[in-house]
Amino acid sequence: MHKISKKACLLAGGILLLLAVCVLVLFLRQHTARQPNTPYTAYLYQDGQLLQTIPLSQITEPQRFTVEATNGGYNTIEVSGDGIAIAEADCPDQICVLQGTIRDSLLPITCLPHRLVIELKPDDPSASGAAPDAVAY
Amino acid sequence: MKTRKLTTLALLAALALAIYYVESLLPPVVPIPGIKLGLANIITLLVLLLYNSRDAALVLLVRILLSALLFGQAMSLLYSLCGGLLCFIAMALACRLLQRHFPELISILGGIFHNIGQILVALALTAVPGVLAYLPYLLISGIITGLFTGLCARFAVRYLRRLPLP
Repeated sequence: MHKISKKACLLAGGILLLLAVCVLVLFLRQHTARQPNTPYTAYLYQDGQLLQTIPLSQITEPQRFTVEATNGGYNTIEVSGDGIAIAEADCPDQICVLQGTIRDSLLPITCLPHRLVIELKPDDPSASGAAPDAVAY
Repeated sequence: MKTRKLTTLALLAALALAIYYVESLLPPVVPIPGIKLGLANIITLLVLLLYNSRDAALVLLVRILLSALLFGQAMSLLYSLCGGLLCFIAMALACRLLQRHFPELISILGGIFHNIGQILVALALTAVPGVLAYLPYLLISGIITGLFTGLCARFAVRYLRRLPLP
């Protein structure tokens, strides 16, 4: 029994360490991801392929468009000057809709049933030339 | 396998299936894909504590396959299978290491590995490295929900051990 408690203590310590690392990572990301005055570009991926890039700075008024999933189904995406959201979808869990509007690069929006991912990345002024259009794949 | 044991395991698998279904009816608490309570894991853990890893694997496989057949899609089968198997391997090893003590720790490890498995499937399917941003959220939620299901299993085992189980 004594030997087991020692193993259990080690295991519990490891788990606590993992927890602490996760909280630390989240905390640091919260602080680095929020850059209020940076222009962002939205990257839409479907089935692992880059579908579309939308520089948010070029959006003057909110607009909607629909992306058809390859396995049937759709996601209606709403993009505005300061963020992007999935406004409507026919996926069973609706998690992508519930995620609401993202305004920074902290978390992407993911619709797993439709294999759709929307990421925001800050525009890098030094790489604003050829990089966004010719994404290497 | 004796008929009595077969029946008991089938009963537990049916219980896991019912728990899994009821849990899928609950609305998502946090809008992050992959976060869930994982209550059906209580049953896997119970079989692991009361019987052995071979029986637990059987009950888990029956539950995953039946749930995909009855109310899932092909996609959710892939996620549950990958997450569930990684979770099971981690729990079976931890169960042997801790000699069936500390179900909370076993369950927390299961939760962590379940979510790692899910992120791996998501990474393979979407091929977008950005989905890794979910990992810290998933790990924290795996630890919390694992602790909860582990406590449930601890209290359940205390009563189940009094029964003349086959």
